[in-house]
Amino acid sequence: MSQGYRAVGWNPQKKTYDRVLGLGLLLYLGLFVGVGFALHPTATAETLLLRGLGTSAFLLLHGILCIGPLARLDRRFLPLLYNRRHLGVSMFLLALVHSVFALIQFHALGDQNPLVSLFVGNTRFDSLAHFPFQPLGAAALAILFLMAATSHDFWLANLSAPVWKALHMLVYLAYALLVMHVGLGILQAETSPLWAGLVLAGLALVLGLHLVAGWRERGLDRELAPGDAGLVDVCAIDEIPEGRARVATISGERVAVFREGLTVTAVSSLCQHQNGPLGEGRILDGLITCPWHGYQYDPCSGRSPAPFTERVPTFRVVLRSGRVLVDPTPSPAGTEQVPACAEQPQ
Amino acid sequence: MKDDFYIGYLPTTTPGLGAFLKRTGLAYLAACLVVALGLVASMGGFSSAVFEYGVERDFEGTLVGGPVPMLLVDRPSSEGEPSSYVLTAFGKFGAGPEVEPHAGARVRLSGTLIYRDDRTMVELSAGSIEVLAPVALSRTVSTERTEELGELTLEGEIVDSKCYLGVMKPGNLKPHRACAVRCISGGVPPVLLVRDDAGHASYFFLVSEDGGAVNSEVLDHVAEPVRLTGRAVRRSGQTFLYANPAELQRL
Repeated sequence: MSQGYRAVGWNPQKKTYDRVLGLGLLLYLGLFVGVGFALHPTATAETLLLRGLGTSAFLLLHGILCIGPLARLDRRFLPLLYNRRHLGVSMFLLALVHSVFALIQFHALGDQNPLVSLFVGNTRFDSLAHFPFQPLGAAALAILFLMAATSHDFWLANLSAPVWKALHMLVYLAYALLVMHVGLGILQAETSPLWAGLVLAGLALVLGLHLVAGWRERGLDRELAPGDAGLVDVCAIDEIPEGRARVATISGERVAVFREGLTVTAVSSLCQHQNGPLGEGRILDGLITCPWHGYQYDPCSGRSPAPFTERVPTFRVVLRSGRVLVDPTPSPAGTEQVPACAEQPQ
Repeated sequence: MKDDFYIGYLPTTTPGLGAFLKRTGLAYLAACLVVALGLVASMGGFSSAVFEYGVERDFEGTLVGGPVPMLLVDRPSSEGEPSSYVLTAFGKFGAGPEVEPHAGARVRLSGTLIYRDDRTMVELSAGSIEVLAPVALSRTVSTERTEELGELTLEGEIVDSKCYLGVMKPGNLKPHRACAVRCISGGVPPVLLVRDDAGHASYFFLVSEDGGAVNSEVLDHVAEPVRLTGRAVRRSGQTFLYANPAELQRL
């Protein structure tokens, strides 16, 4: 959590994650170039490396984009999300090396600055088939750079979670640009149906998973209206699993209503770190624990335990006839609430 | 297993979740490797062209200037048409500026061979031209034969001769367009690459109707299917198309 900043907050699980990632990438590139030379002895190393780096980055981006919806469909995928930033930075580095190789190979040692040549080398903006594909890749790389450069928690804290999140949603624009970069670039030369088929399959997978995950959550954002006394009836107390939450949309915001034993509390469902889904977390050692990165908050006050300083808005909760009623007006982040207590069953 | 709750900063995860992650990671890696194999196996476009990178050879012959600089080398038998090597410079530049001052002279030079099919090019090593005999004493040019092939309408793709003959693989089609533009813009002679139904390639060096360079005029048409009509001439083993580049048609 965010008491201070370190370049990388290493821990055993992150190390394992990164080791597997590094070995996987080496294996992929080694296979691509090695088998490439075995099957195409007249190929040049530059071209094989260029393609190996480009395809590995593109495949990694597919994995990154699929982790989010997969984790929403099955929480067992959440550990993959925990260190997704390292996947993102690795993908950016692969794309960067691919881009530098391409810039040198196609634009350097000529009569124009390579960076200028990148944008003026092909001016067929009037034709889809001949549309310049390299500037599309450059635009995507600029977005990926922005994301990689701001991936650290320092930027998350200083930009605020909503701004940071919005910035990082640009990954979808980068993906769209890269699909066009590939479709209008290498697919114009590599005419095997396998290449085009894989790009389409990847697109279908990413879109499909997002649609299914969105479909599954379609009811979640249905706004609950206040009833008598201006309170919102969320559910019966026994509908909330022990140590878990029921999420409801109240006043346009997702609210996580937690139950621990006989007490019920409510906080904003947006974790202050990356806006993770607190409502999908659970209470561990008396603290609400975010499922994404383990950030913790006191259920009554919405405050992280000292020395940490994160705070989330809290909501007043009332129990009436076994129903959980929530005041729709959020209290300022970190405001202590008196938990609602159910009566001990006789 | 459904209730496994993962906390990344704890030393370990539960065995059930750990096994699931192991299976998932391996499946993703295996899928990526299978994709890599499929992509590599289905790749095309790697010709048998050769760029003898790092190997420098010496050549002796007569320099021909103009938009397509060449070195004409007498055959050992001293009979027949001399062998011709199109000359280019390092990087994405033509050899015109280095060759022009010595056009017509007998020279010795060094460079790196680039070849594909029956076409050979030499990347001239900078500053390596050594004049052996001035223009008036050279005899090779007088043995050059010119053969008029008549007016032809050709359909093909404009490529830069240096990359297509071996420096890049593939050295044509859209992914290579920006590079071809840079090379042709830098003076590398443009070639209209024409393939017959059997896939056999013919190379036509593009020059203007009066034999001048057309590099800047063809840049917008590089790496696209085009049609052009012009007067075809075969000289020193190379074929030239004398044409008006303004008449280039996109197909």
